[in-house]
Amino acid sequence: MSHYIIKRLLGIIPLLLGITIISFVIIHLAPGKPTQLEMSLNPKVSYEARLRLEKLYGLDQPLYLQYTNWLKRFARLDFGPSLTDNRPVLDKILERIPVTLTINISSMLLIFLVAVPLGIRSALNPEGAFDKITTFFVFLFFAAPTFWLALLLMNLFCITLGWLPVSGLTSLDFEYFSPIRKAVDLAWHLTLPVFVSSIGSLAGISRYMRSSMIEALKQPFIYTARAKGLPRNTVIYKHALRNAILPIATILGLSIPALLGGSVIFESIFAIPGIGRLFYEAVMTRDFNLIMAEVVLGAILTMLGNLIADISYAYIDPRIRYRNEK
Amino acid sequence: MKNNKLLTIGVIIISTFALIALFAGLISPYDPSFIDQDNLLIKPSAKHWMGTDNLGRDILSRIIYGARISLSIGLIAVGIATLIGVLLGSIAGYYGGIIDGLIMRLVDIMLCFPTFFLILAVVAILEPSIYNIMIIIGLTGWMGTARLIRAEILSLKEREFIQASRATGASSGRIILTHLVPNAIGPVVINAILGVAGAILLESSLSFLGLGVQPPTPSWGNILIESKSTLGVAWWITVFPGLAILITILGFNFIGEGIKKRIG
Amino acid sequence: MTPEILEIIDLKVDFCLQGKINQAVGGVSLFIRDHETVVLAGESGSGKTVTALSITGILPPNALIAQGKILYRGQDLLTLEEDALSRIRGNQIAYIFQEPGAYLNPVLSIGDQLSETIILHQGLTKEAAREEAAELLALVKIRDPKDIIRSYPHQLSGGMNQRVFLAMALACKPRILIADEPTTSLDVTVEAKMLELLMGLKKEIGFALLFITHNLSIAKKIADRIYVMYRGKIVEEGDQDKILTRPEHAHTKELVAAFEKIGKL
Repeated sequence: MSHYIIKRLLGIIPLLLGITIISFVIIHLAPGKPTQLEMSLNPKVSYEARLRLEKLYGLDQPLYLQYTNWLKRFARLDFGPSLTDNRPVLDKILERIPVTLTINISSMLLIFLVAVPLGIRSALNPEGAFDKITTFFVFLFFAAPTFWLALLLMNLFCITLGWLPVSGLTSLDFEYFSPIRKAVDLAWHLTLPVFVSSIGSLAGISRYMRSSMIEALKQPFIYTARAKGLPRNTVIYKHALRNAILPIATILGLSIPALLGGSVIFESIFAIPGIGRLFYEAVMTRDFNLIMAEVVLGAILTMLGNLIADISYAYIDPRIRYRNEK
Repeated sequence: MKNNKLLTIGVIIISTFALIALFAGLISPYDPSFIDQDNLLIKPSAKHWMGTDNLGRDILSRIIYGARISLSIGLIAVGIATLIGVLLGSIAGYYGGIIDGLIMRLVDIMLCFPTFFLILAVVAILEPSIYNIMIIIGLTGWMGTARLIRAEILSLKEREFIQASRATGASSGRIILTHLVPNAIGPVVINAILGVAGAILLESSLSFLGLGVQPPTPSWGNILIESKSTLGVAWWITVFPGLAILITILGFNFIGEGIKKRIG
Repeated sequence: MTPEILEIIDLKVDFCLQGKINQAVGGVSLFIRDHETVVLAGESGSGKTVTALSITGILPPNALIAQGKILYRGQDLLTLEEDALSRIRGNQIAYIFQEPGAYLNPVLSIGDQLSETIILHQGLTKEAAREEAAELLALVKIRDPKDIIRSYPHQLSGGMNQRVFLAMALACKPRILIADEPTTSLDVTVEAKMLELLMGLKKEIGFALLFITHNLSIAKKIADRIYVMYRGKIVEEGDQDKILTRPEHAHTKELVAAFEKIGKL
């Protein structure tokens, strides 16, 4: 298995390179140079000043040199200053990552804890009442735009029923709360965002779990398990489920890009200070440094997610973990 | 049988919307951009079946014209994506070797980017417009199709009729176009149909964020921009456009699922 | 005359496939005596496996036992509750199947799968069960049982897996072992060893053997009595001698002739 891990890790290098190249290409899609926008905001800037700025950004050099310079800075985690307030982009991102991470990890946990049992239950009685009802809702949630669901839920739970807070991460007098009350307050604020974030993936993964489980239950070794006299629950949860659930690790990992993309929307709707919202603000203010940093970051997170998913799969599946013949 | 029911419902839904989009001018009760200061935020009523928005514009009319915009963006974006995907996928599958390796690497790299991030970044740089959106959604959605076609072609490549073609001296391009692609196109079509749904979702999300179709041109996504500020006050601004999107997506999904079951 | 331990009376089993009902077993009656070796012979699709699976009620969900009685030591198994049936399965009536690789769970260790029945039916602790499992592996002539216990099915050869399966089936010293084409997917030499092992253990432990196969040369080697099945019905039955040398039914004659032709009888 270590052989497999090393192969995977080596495979990352070309991916990283590719990510940086494409990101670089995107920056230079701008019809004018990045400095032009800054210039246009301040028409009094003289020709010399513009030249100086271009030199500063290295825009007077040939493209490949610009790329390698950019790559070097990027490797040092120097993404440059934010064009809005001059603070280092890295700092702005770092301070918002914990929130988004919390939400995404909670989402994945929620998805796992809900989608898996739903899928199993559906698989145990395919085409039965439970299955049909669940399938109906799955289709519905899959087809509804996430932001629309967020708005509807907001309308229902925050405004009409008043059960959950409308926006923000914390209540007004958060600083004065005891640690426990702080944790509860955070959870209260994060409930709807986490739920909204999970809906799409929840639908998909429960569907996948359903077919995976149905497949597993058809396998020959299930006959063996029953022939041995094992109780029904053991057959289902020990023999079938352990086989059916193997790919879920990979799938959860694959849902990261969707979660990240979705975070832009619901973080904006719920006014959560995460990197999704930061990205949205960056786009609105055309803060190129921040935009590029986030795009690259998003790609890297996705790549890491896939890597972890693949390696976990190799670990849990004995057929990959133990390759040798005896 | 159940699959035919699904397919039929889906086709009915999409045809209805297509007709609405085509004949928007004839059906729409009002001009979608007509600002009526005296009728701001009216509830759904006899005069305005779906109410009016904060500028007094009739929501039903905006949804009707929005159908035209959203559907065409979806169709063209998927058209672009499918074209690129089929092109790159078939070249990769047919020629194999380094070309295959390079193209598949590109696919892997593109798949690393959260689609939405990429689209937003490009829109930020190039400024939102209907054409830009169509192109960028297309440019970020070809990867699945490419993989599909490549897989199909890989399996078809070794079949007899291809060998026969080669033996008679047909050029590679000819073989790809006249034999391989038509046979491999099945799953690609299903993918494309489901892809339109995805594209419409993407466009509406973009427009909702203000980075897609710009007002006053109505798109289902940008009608919903107002719902943020009118939550709890004007439910009709939120409900109707969203329902339009939901039903359209369901329609495409039904068609896709229906065809899948038919082919079995 | 040794007593009958299992008797199937007029068994009919239907399958429901896409709305249509097919009869897989159309009125089968057979019996097995204690310590006997009975071969159930016939081509694939003749209903042999369905009959075997019906005995302990482990048919797929779309199967329906339309009528019949299955008497095990006097009790009709078809009338038993699931609880009572599970106590018999694996404990008094055990199975081995055709492809051990497919019929063993790929994600559970050999030791785990072996200990399961022991823990379940004999109430031993995990550690005691592991010890027992190692002994069982030694019984089926597997070297390094401790090593194999920690292994997984994909790491072992087909022959080894089948021996593991045999050990698993014999873990609780069953009264009847039902073997459904256990050697069909094995190499000829491995097959011979397997049969030798099986019959040796049968002598030692004393179970009755219901051996399902389409291969009459195996029947010749091991059978006391043979039932021939064709299209869901028993078409002929009798001692090994009678069936193989003086077949009466047309289908039996075909089978015997086919094997004589390739010099296997």
